[in-house]
Amino acid sequence: MKELCKLGGLLMLITTIAASALAGIYNVTKPRIEAQKALQLERALTIALPSAPREAIFPVQDEDVILYYVGYKTPEKKELIGYAFVSHGSGYSSVIETMVGVDTLGNILGMKVLNQVETPGLGTKVEEIRHGDDAPWFTQQFIARPAGQVAVDKDGGDIQSITGATISSRALTKSVVAAYEKLLADKAKPN
Amino acid sequence: MSVVREFTKGLYKQNPVFKQALGLCPTLAVSNSVESALGMGVAVTFVLLCSNSIISLIHKIVPAKIRIPIYIVVIATFVTIVDLSMAGFLPALHKTLGIFVPLIVVNCIILGRAEAFAGKNGIGLSIVDGLGMGIGFTIALLLLGTLREFMGNGSFMGIPVMNPGFEPVLIMILPPGAFLTIGFVLGFFNWLENKRAK
Amino acid sequence: MDKKYFVSSSPHIYAQDSIPKIMYTVILTLVPAAIGSIYFFGLRALWIIAIAAVSAVATEALLQIMMKRPVTVYDGSAILTGILLAYNVAPSVPLWLPAVGSFFAIAVGKMVFGGLGHNPMNPALLGRAFLLASWPTHMTIFSAAVPKGGTVSGIDAITTATPLNVLKAAQEVLRHPQNFSPAQKMEASEAIGQLYDSLRELFIGRIGGCIGETSTLLLLIGAAFLMYKRYIGWKIPFTYVGTVALLSWIFGGADGLFSGNPIFHVLSGGLILGAFYMATDMVTTPITFAGRVYFGVGCGVITVVIRQFGGYPEGVSYSILLMNLLTPLLDRWTRPRVFGGKKTG
Repeated sequence: MKELCKLGGLLMLITTIAASALAGIYNVTKPRIEAQKALQLERALTIALPSAPREAIFPVQDEDVILYYVGYKTPEKKELIGYAFVSHGSGYSSVIETMVGVDTLGNILGMKVLNQVETPGLGTKVEEIRHGDDAPWFTQQFIARPAGQVAVDKDGGDIQSITGATISSRALTKSVVAAYEKLLADKAKPN
Repeated sequence: MSVVREFTKGLYKQNPVFKQALGLCPTLAVSNSVESALGMGVAVTFVLLCSNSIISLIHKIVPAKIRIPIYIVVIATFVTIVDLSMAGFLPALHKTLGIFVPLIVVNCIILGRAEAFAGKNGIGLSIVDGLGMGIGFTIALLLLGTLREFMGNGSFMGIPVMNPGFEPVLIMILPPGAFLTIGFVLGFFNWLENKRAK
Repeated sequence: MDKKYFVSSSPHIYAQDSIPKIMYTVILTLVPAAIGSIYFFGLRALWIIAIAAVSAVATEALLQIMMKRPVTVYDGSAILTGILLAYNVAPSVPLWLPAVGSFFAIAVGKMVFGGLGHNPMNPALLGRAFLLASWPTHMTIFSAAVPKGGTVSGIDAITTATPLNVLKAAQEVLRHPQNFSPAQKMEASEAIGQLYDSLRELFIGRIGGCIGETSTLLLLIGAAFLMYKRYIGWKIPFTYVGTVALLSWIFGGADGLFSGNPIFHVLSGGLILGAFYMATDMVTTPITFAGRVYFGVGCGVITVVIRQFGGYPEGVSYSILLMNLLTPLLDRWTRPRVFGGKKTG
């Protein structure tokens, strides 16, 4: 019994030290991690809505869930530019998350893939930037097309799918259409 | 002299990957590019260095019965530190390495060194041992990463080194490529050893 | 080896056929399909076959010299591996592809394990799997593979996909009708109807696909001879093809169960080549009666699962590779009981 207490006590002491050390580190790194996340979101938003300044993009929330973002020309909410939303599509080996920006008529203004773990060398080409370009060629194709009607060439659309990665191309394209339809539904809802 | 020996043994003679075949899970999983191999190697070296020094300091007061849980707590603490700081300062690398950063906790190299070396030696030698083993592990990862990235992507550290007509052997950066590469690398070192023994 | 003092465990019945004799006979029976492929796809097919075979032989010889082993490339097994690999690539691939594939098949599929008789998996199929994972764009594009007097798909309007590709795409449309327009649905069901009408083309081989897999007729001529010589058994090919036919009939249709077209599924893709020439490889398949039946059924089930529910349109090569790995277990599991001995699990 005495030994048990001694061992337990020692273990507790060590774990307490470890826990307090971690708590300290967590407090130090937390603002940095959050800043990184915010920075990533900010970058994606500026790509999705290129003509809206960052201060003029506002999230529209339902309780805690961000439904979509609204972008204006000025921070005073003047001159509506468009909306940005995140689409999710099941690709070959992951869920492809994309930030999409559309104007008020539903034409795509900009796109940025946020997350994907597709096959290296094939599906990952949704983010490939060709030598000499400054934006991924695959998502660039979507710009100025109506978000509700984009489709890859294999399905009769104009989006050239990635060779050898039809599933990833199709998943991304279809997710944009689905997410746009959800945006229309969300917008119709009274806030 | 023994300081030099304890350091260099991890580089080749007792290389954790090539000779002891320890820590193969991260070796296979994150060696598909030089960059992630380097990141993983440095992370493991850091954890190994810290855990080895702490464990060599406390091993005298730790009763044998509960040494494993205590070692694991120490290791897990340092892994969490690496995980959090990587997320804060190197988000891109953190995203590439993903789950394999927290999994360093169960990397057998680290607990193995704690048990086999740091729990029996002083802090000085333990630091040297951890550093040697960590660098040995990093070398192994870099070798695999270089081979796989070169063959599977035609590049080194993301910079294309082959002419544009080169069609990369995609399988090398996919999981089967890891097994193929490590099989041939281990075979090569065994062949070298046999030849030397003769 | 001096065969006069050949000491071994039972069985003591000794087959007179040597390895070279069997190998060269198998190669000979593949010649009709080769001639057919040259006729359908042009001289390029011959080049690919020749490059694959030469590369296989050269790799084996080189490695045997490097490892200071006796050079046994004359036994024909490397040539056979090269030819079978060539039969498994599209006629439009660049010419270096079969060479690399053969190198991998022999080096990693066979020599690493100790040469002929020690390889756990069919080397030619392993080479194909390697090529498919490494250069999927070359391996899955059949657009240049229009055979003489036919189309790749068997449908006049569609020339860029193999019959199984067209079927898979069309089934995708019919299974998720809500995602597609009525015109697309019409097109899909028409395509399936046309595919089912082109069975004669499929049988002759006037259809797109890999070099040696398209002509069921020519492959069966060769296979019949091998069966007559008893170099290949009937159990694996027949149970394999039978299982595929049965399961495709049950699950292969777009209008619910029992609406599939078994004959279409048997004739298309690489099933005939795989069932008669690769699933019957002596080294990598079970030796017991029951083991072979299980092997054939297993291959059939995996093939249909991949074709119907998987990401690839064709699953013959993976199904055989997977079952190859089960071969030692099947042999152990189905080991005949010693006569009069105790029954054991």
